[in-house]
Parts: sequence; structure tokens; C-alpha cells
Amino acid sequence: MAYDTIVLGAGLAGMLAALGRSERGERVLVLAKGHGATHWAAGCIDLFGAATNPLAAVRDLAATQPTHPYALVGVTALEQGLARLRAACEAVGYPLVGSAERSLLLPTAVGALRPTSLVPATMVAGESRQLGDGRPTLIAGLRELRDFFPPLIAANLRAQGFTAEGVYLDLPPSTRHGAFSPMNFARLFEQPAFREQIGRQLADLVRRGGYARVGLPGCLGLHQATTVVRDLQTQSGALIFEIPTLPVSVPGARLFHALEQALVRAGGQMQIGAWVRRGEVQTEQLVAVYSEAAAREQRHTAQRWVLATGGIAGGGLRAEPTGEVRETALGLPVQVSAAQSAWLAQRFLADAGHPIFRAGVATDRDLRPLDAAGRVVYANVAVVGAAIAGFDPLREGCLEGVAVATGFAAGQH
Amino acid sequence: MDHRELALTQALDHCIKCNLCTSACPVVAVTDQFPGPKYVGPQAERFRRAGQPVPDASVDYCSGCRVCNQVCPTGVPIAELNARARGAMVAERGLPFRNWIIARADLVGGLSAGPQAPLVNLGLKMAPARWVIEQLLGIHHQAPLPMASTYRFRSWFKRHQAAQPATKGQVVYFHGCATNYYEPHVGQAAVAVLEHNGFEVILAEQNCCGLPLISNGDFKGATSAHAANVRKLLPYVRRGMPIVGTSTSCTLTLKEEAPEILGLHDEAVRAVAAGTYDIFEFLRQLAERGELKTDFRPMPRRLPYHPPCQYRAHRLGKPAMDVLALVPGLQLDESHADCCGIAGTYGLKREKYQIAQDVGQSLFEFVRRAGADLVLCDSETCRWQITHATGVPSQHPIEVLAAAYGLRR
Repeated sequence: MAYDTIVLGAGLAGMLAALGRSERGERVLVLAKGHGATHWAAGCIDLFGAATNPLAAVRDLAATQPTHPYALVGVTALEQGLARLRAACEAVGYPLVGSAERSLLLPTAVGALRPTSLVPATMVAGESRQLGDGRPTLIAGLRELRDFFPPLIAANLRAQGFTAEGVYLDLPPSTRHGAFSPMNFARLFEQPAFREQIGRQLADLVRRGGYARVGLPGCLGLHQATTVVRDLQTQSGALIFEIPTLPVSVPGARLFHALEQALVRAGGQMQIGAWVRRGEVQTEQLVAVYSEAAAREQRHTAQRWVLATGGIAGGGLRAEPTGEVRETALGLPVQVSAAQSAWLAQRFLADAGHPIFRAGVATDRDLRPLDAAGRVVYANVAVVGAAIAGFDPLREGCLEGVAVATGFAAGQH
Repeated sequence: MDHRELALTQALDHCIKCNLCTSACPVVAVTDQFPGPKYVGPQAERFRRAGQPVPDASVDYCSGCRVCNQVCPTGVPIAELNARARGAMVAERGLPFRNWIIARADLVGGLSAGPQAPLVNLGLKMAPARWVIEQLLGIHHQAPLPMASTYRFRSWFKRHQAAQPATKGQVVYFHGCATNYYEPHVGQAAVAVLEHNGFEVILAEQNCCGLPLISNGDFKGATSAHAANVRKLLPYVRRGMPIVGTSTSCTLTLKEEAPEILGLHDEAVRAVAAGTYDIFEFLRQLAERGELKTDFRPMPRRLPYHPPCQYRAHRLGKPAMDVLALVPGLQLDESHADCCGIAGTYGLKREKYQIAQDVGQSLFEFVRRAGADLVLCDSETCRWQITHATGVPSQHPIEVLAAAYGLRR
């Protein structure tokens, strides 16, 4: 079936691009290999690492790094993209709070503080300014949820000068006796009886310990998180905040669901499990892509395309044993800042970051892919998110921000 | 070991332990019996060695819906690993009689369909009989068993005359057991639509595709079923005739499941796989080439549609929705539900019936909320499950397409 726009990739960047084009009245299809970046990340929107005013830092970039994706699409695209994302989350009753002009510091699952900008309302009571108001914080978890250790989180918060204690709660009676993943806990928290049992335990702890707020693992419901947090607050008499867990990230899945809902409402189509392996080109236009399917490939045609397959972590890029770095869907030219011989460093987590994270597809201001000589490869393709070359989404702390800004931009012009 | 085998057996190294599959698994969501696709698939696989005892029997609770494959960001064929693990377990421990019998769809169907069908159906509706079947066979007394047809699709076809001469060549129709023994009307609709579009429909000799044998771990039986189908269908494929089926799980089995899971990769198997199409895949291709007839009657209806797991496993998107979108006035609402729960024979089993009902809950609610007098789904066992759980009659989308063309049954 012929589409106006086909988007490859269903992360933040791809979904915002698809949403934008659907809302412009186009027939849009999203093809994605599987679930991805949203389900792995914390579910917060990082704009610019440790900058106290991320938006101001993004403005400065335009002058100093004109090929940075933020500079390519401009600060307005970031602001408008954030507004669209917030509206999509608002529409499913899951508001994001914070501002692009102020960084927030939120505790991680080891109790370190991590800078970010927009966070779900279910997390914001754990912001460092609140943690530092002199009133005690309780970190609570369940032993059955692996990889979440309240005593460790509390000890690390204390080491940073906050008053915090960690406890394990008793698992309320339930039909479940195993398979305690964050997602299964999210489903359990959506059962009123389950969260009431938790709330009762919390109320008791809060009464005895005088805690102002309670941090819980980030799995307080999948579709009803706001209700779950509100109920627990009412019952416990303290503010409740979620701390992101190790993957799978329930807060990340909520962002995906919010965008999926918005896209479906706008008439967009999605095909998850469609792994695009190659494209078909006629006179410098991409006319079709082929996705892996049973017995034979499926051919998809569209007028224009958005490549949102991610960087090396998301599977959009692949480093071959030869040292060649490939763009996996369309075979676009990849810009690599350092040859394979420079990929090894003395320190595993060296401050400069790994050069592979700067690899990607170079683009012009319309996000069209460029070859090594700076010529547009396909005029009807836009590259968005971590697939773009010349920035390090992890070190710069701008993975979500660049996804939102470039994804939104590709959805508009 | 050739590269196809390596691709399957080595693929577990691509697992990055992100747990997305376990979080998306509809069975994990409702029961503790199944620890999840990551555990029984790429993880337990490392403990499975030829000649050593099976490390863990919980893989038997995998329903084979393939949602894990669909969401995996690194492309691990988890469902295939699980299917093979179940096969190895059956090879070691033997096949329970219950699974032996429900995996033989053509045997059971052949005994049920015909003039004796009303008697069989009456028996299956009687509570004491179902209680006895549950006690003796382990098939849940409420499980959605299909009603046998008083005549076979094949015997109807023998008497059938095409209304118009063929102009576009021949297609081979793969009806599957369900159409032949339980729902001949699905095959009649398919034949009508294909003939209306100018094709001559050939009814090749065929047998059960073997999927129930695969999903019950009877790989020996499945291998001979597939070999027999390849032998029967190959001559047509060689002459360039497409094999077109209405049972989306049969077509998936011919295209991929049997070759991959059973490790059958010879040239004949590959040729049959490459020549097989699900009917809406076939019709959508016609539409894309501008060759599908569009002389539809307006059909002002809004119907709920569930794209079954076995269709999503073709990885083709939603061909039935794409084609039915061409019918003026007809609007389909997609379920966006993962699975109806039945997974072929899985939800018939005494110990799995409730799991299957729980898995299907969100789909059933969607169907009830839709308030329509009909729900569409491409897969027969899913249709029976949905109708059983909601009371809403179900049809194959091809039946609606035939009606939109104004074709008489």
C-alpha cells in the first residue's frame, strides 16, 4: 500500500516525526524492528546534561557547533517538539513536568543524582532540591523486585548529605508468586487491593518515621501511574516519587504508549517486528524499502521517508569486524570521527566518551543525508535522532532532546 | 550445519538480556507458570545439550504467539528456540495421549465432519460428555471446540462450477483442516473472491500443515506432514502457480514455521515456502499492482478486527485491513490487543484454559465494547476463542470481502 511518509524506527524521534506528518493529513506508516530506546531509557527527557539552563546551552551551540543536530534544526524545533510531547502525555493523563530552562537532579537506582529536564509527575517529588529540604526521605522497595536495593540507594543519598533511610516492604498477598519483573509489578499496582496493602505499610512507616516523601521503584502502574501515585500519597500521607529501575523501563514504556495513542488517533499505522534491511533507489530518490518477513521480503513504498533507527546502541548503526561502520537500514554513508584503531582507551569510562557514539549520518539543515563530499544522497529522506552524526548523545546528555527536536522538525517541513 | 541453522542456533548470542520480551509476553502477564521468553529461550538454551536431560519443563507454557519475536530489538528468534526446546522435551519424555490426539487436526476433523456431524456436535455440547472428555483426555470442559460441518469443503468443491471463465491464470487453494471440516463457508468465500478476480482455483491434494504437531512438540509427525505437503504442492509451484491459503497459521507454517523449526531447508521445501501466500497478502499484492477488482457494493458497517498473532508473525503488517479499506463505507477498528490466548490447541488444555482466557481479556473487552454483531479475525482458532468468550459471532475477513463483491455463497 502506498504511503505519503514511512518512518523507520519507533523511538521518540520516529514517533514524533510520524505524529507530525499524520497530523498534517498524510498517510503514515511506522516500521520498527522491535521495541527500542523508549523501553530502555529512564522515561525522562534529557536536554543537555549538566547545563543549568539547557535551552540557553542549546542556543549557544548554534554558534560553536553548527553541525550539531540541535544547531541544524534550531531551538524552536526543540521547544515545539517538547510541547507536542507534553501534550501527548497529558492526553493520556500522564503529565511531564519541568522546564527546558532548568535542569533537575533525580536519584537513580543506585542513589546517584542524574541531571535531566522534563520528568513525569510521578518522579518529581524526588528532585534534589526537595530531597535537601531537611526532612527525611524513605526509600522503599520489595525484595521480589530484583536490582532495586533501597538500603543502597538510601546510603548513597546519605553520603551526599540527604536524610534518607531504606526499607523493604512485605509483598501483599496476590495471585502472583514469581516472575516479578518491573512490568508485572506495574500490573499489580494497577490492582486497587494490591496498592492499598502497600499504602497501608507506607502509612505505618511514615507515621513512625516522620518521612516527608517516599521513593519507590518506577513501576507504579503502566496505564494508570498518576492514579496509583495519587492513591499511595493519600494513603501514606507522604509525597511519593518513582525511581527509574533497570530495563525494562516502565516509565519509558508509558512514553511510548502516549505517543502510540496519539499516532493511532491521528490515523497513523504501525508495524512492529518489521526489520528494514535495504532500500530501492531511482534517480537519487528512495522509492521503496524492504523489510524482513516470512519466506520473502515485504516491499513498502512512500513519497518520503524518515530514518529514526538510532545509533550504535539502538541498532541503527553497526560496526563490522573490519572496522567499517554501517547504517543498517538503507546503507547510507556513515561519518565516523575516529578509526577503529582509536576505539580503545586506557579507562573504560574515559571522560571523552567512546568515539563510536559520535558516528552517524551527516545531514543538512533539512536533515537530508549527506555523503562524504557533502552532497545530498536522497532528497526525500530525513534522518532524525541518534542516527545523526557529530554528537555524543550519552556524554552530552541530550539523547531525548535531540530525538524530540529532530523528530518534531522532520514531522513539519 | 548450514547458515540457516547457524542463524537460529547462534542467534541467542544476540540477546542483550533487556527483558523487553518478558515484559511484552501476554502469558507472563497472567501466570507464574511461565517464567518468560528470555528465561526459557535464549537463557535456558545454554543449558540444553544433546544427550543431556531437559533442564526445565516450563517452556511447555509458551503459547507460541511470537509477541516476543515481534518486540525483540535485536532480532532473536525466541519463539523458534522455544518450539525446538519443546520438541526436544517431547523427544525425551514422550508425547501425552491428549497432545497426540489434539495435534492431529485432520484425523479429528475427518472423524467429526460429515453426516454424523450433528450427533458429534450435540455430544460436544453436553456437559456430562465434556466432563468425561476432560477427565479422560485433559481437554477443558469449557474449551472452545469447533462445530463439525455436515459436509466437507472438498466435496462441495467437486460439485462447484466457476461462474465465469478464468482470465488471469490458476491459483492453488490451501484450505487447511478448519475449512475442510468445520467452516467450508470460508473456503467458498475464498473461491468466490478468487474466481471473481479472474483466477481458476485448483484444489490440490493436501494434508494438515503440521502446525498443531509442531506446537505440541511432535516433530516426527510434523516432519512427515510437511514432507507430504511439499510433495503434493511442489508440482504446482514448479508451474508457477501460487499457493493461496485462508488459514493464516497454515500459510505461515508452509512459508516459515515448518522449514525453520523442523530444520528443513532443501530446495523443494524452499520453493513451496516461496510460492505460498496468505489470501489477503495475495489480494493486497493484486491491489498494489492495480489488478484487484474494486466493484464493491457500499457496505456502511463498522466492525472490530483482530489481527491474529499468527498473521503478525508473517511480518506483513495488516493485509486484511489494507484490502478491506477499499470497500466503500466499511470501517474496521483494530483491536491493538496482543493475543486472544488460544494459540491453536494451547487454550484447549485443562491446565492452560484459564491462562488462555486471561490472556484474551483485553481483546474480549475490546470486542464487547465495540458493540457490533460481528467480529473479524483471520485465524480460525482465534475466531472460536473470541466468540466463545464474548458471544459475538466471528467471520474470516474474506467472507466480508465476498459479501462486499455481492458474491453468493
